[in-house]
Amino acid sequence: MLVLGIETSTPAASVTIGSEQGIIASSLVTRGAGPGDFLLPAIEFLMEQSGLSYRNLSAIAVGLGPGLFTGMRVGVATAKTLAQALSVPIVGASSLDLLAFDVRYSDKLICPVFDAKRKEVFFAFYRQVPGGITRESSYMVGSPERLMAEIQGSGEDFLLVGNGALLYRDPLERVDKVEFGSMAYAFPRAASLVELALPRLFMEDYDRLFDIEPHYMRRSDAEINWERSMQRKNR
Amino acid sequence: MNGETAAGLLSEFDLETQTEVLPDPVGSNQDELLVLGIETSCDETCAAILRGKDNVLANVISSSADLHARYGGVVPEVASRAHVQAVNPAIAEALRRADLTLWDMNAVAVTVGPGLVGSLVVGVAAAKALASVLEVPLLPINHLEAHIYANFLDHPNFGPPAVGLIVSGGHTLLVHMPAHGLYEVLGETLDDAAGEAFDKVARYLGLGFPGGPAIDQMALGGNKRAIDFPRAVLHKGYDFSFSGLKTAVQDYLRKQEKQGKEVKLEDVCASFQEAVVDVQVTKTIKAAQSLGVSTVFVSGGVASNSRLRELMSAMCAENDLKLHYPSPEYCTDNAAMVACCGHFRYIRGIRADSSISADPNLHLA
Ligand SMILES: [Zn+2]
Repeated sequence: MLVLGIETSTPAASVTIGSEQGIIASSLVTRGAGPGDFLLPAIEFLMEQSGLSYRNLSAIAVGLGPGLFTGMRVGVATAKTLAQALSVPIVGASSLDLLAFDVRYSDKLICPVFDAKRKEVFFAFYRQVPGGITRESSYMVGSPERLMAEIQGSGEDFLLVGNGALLYRDPLERVDKVEFGSMAYAFPRAASLVELALPRLFMEDYDRLFDIEPHYMRRSDAEINWERSMQRKNR
Repeated sequence: MNGETAAGLLSEFDLETQTEVLPDPVGSNQDELLVLGIETSCDETCAAILRGKDNVLANVISSSADLHARYGGVVPEVASRAHVQAVNPAIAEALRRADLTLWDMNAVAVTVGPGLVGSLVVGVAAAKALASVLEVPLLPINHLEAHIYANFLDHPNFGPPAVGLIVSGGHTLLVHMPAHGLYEVLGETLDDAAGEAFDKVARYLGLGFPGGPAIDQMALGGNKRAIDFPRAVLHKGYDFSFSGLKTAVQDYLRKQEKQGKEVKLEDVCASFQEAVVDVQVTKTIKAAQSLGVSTVFVSGGVASNSRLRELMSAMCAENDLKLHYPSPEYCTDNAAMVACCGHFRYIRGIRADSSISADPNLHLA
């Protein structure tokens, strides 16, 4: 089962072609013109280098974020359109899940942290289980202080990974029992996306093409402001 | 802006470095050429299929206007999210209506700018994916150019040299088109776009969003000479300005309220609309005459304004000019016009590869 994985919800735009037999081709770029420019040329390059064509693909997997809005939209719109044109199934996965999966070899509580801009971070807590990870919290967005409070409140040992953990290492380090992942794990990668997608594809647990959406986690400013003004009016 | 001679004109060849020109690719099959058009520059998600240069097999428009109505204008983030949801169903619906498959397409044309960047990237991503899978040419289209090409859809005889207006919620431009792919922007708005002025005045009057059709409708029952709103006839060239007029409407409403006088909405609408339309028509006719061009066009959402059409028709007839404007469905944003522009690009052998990107500030010339 040949799967094309697309993950562009953080500053790292990443593409992988792989199957249950292993990763065939993979690329990741964290700076430059952005996912809009990088994605299609990267897919075409990987296909060409591995001697594959679109017709060989059995499915598309896509990282849904949370993350940067434009990156998520480019990734999701590209993945959906490829699935539509090729008439193959699509599966989406949380980009936080992907990063947690990459660092699952730890007894600590695993916390991937993405920089959400505006002095906030996206994060969630995971624990290693046989064969993978299990998520032990909801997906959250908040200040680094809020993350620190969550960590302190739980009283557990933590492994913090991701560009958000590295960016706010200074305040986060003041919390006891916190270890930081290396910069090699700063971003979610399409390779783990393909790996996580395969079991779902084998079980035919597909997402619906027209329904799959980025995991925004934040409403637009206009919506938030409008709601506030309505609340003021109703008071 | 003021290139008077051919040397001052920019062509698409200069504007898009990623494009390459190939020798006549389709030869005699131009009338059978199938182009899929995609347009997501603002709040409408559009997909269309065009056979030849003017046979529209499908023209799908999925608008998120309802989602923006309560904010009184298009909210970029809301529009961008709606495009991600709507672009694939729009493509599927266009294929269904045309009774074709993606694999029948000979080219994919997509609006790359100008527009809202978060919206543009969705259509561009989809188009790049399609062109790559289908192994067909990708045709990057300027949204403003597409508005001009909308005229071909209804008028096979339309063509350069021409002078015309592109008027919408986002744009107010007076353009000279001496030949295919060549444009000279004679004038632009210095502040609000015409459609924006309509939206804002509609909001002052409590007529809702979008304001253009509401004011047009209301004006039908009003006296266009009831209130003498100012015409911003700028001395320099063909530029436009609507902010003074907008303020004049506000001042008028305030004055009436202060004096306890009743405001006749119909008259305000008719008089405001007349002030906008008058300036636009006058400058367009003047431009056509001074350039010695006999074909005039009006494109864009505001081109369906009934008074603009009426006055422009009358003035063109009086001055012996041929007037073209697209039917209402091709005035507002749509992908048929994008596909049409793509058709002419394709037969001129202009191509792009998958490295193109959205350009929110793309200029016509
Ligand atoms: Zn437009």
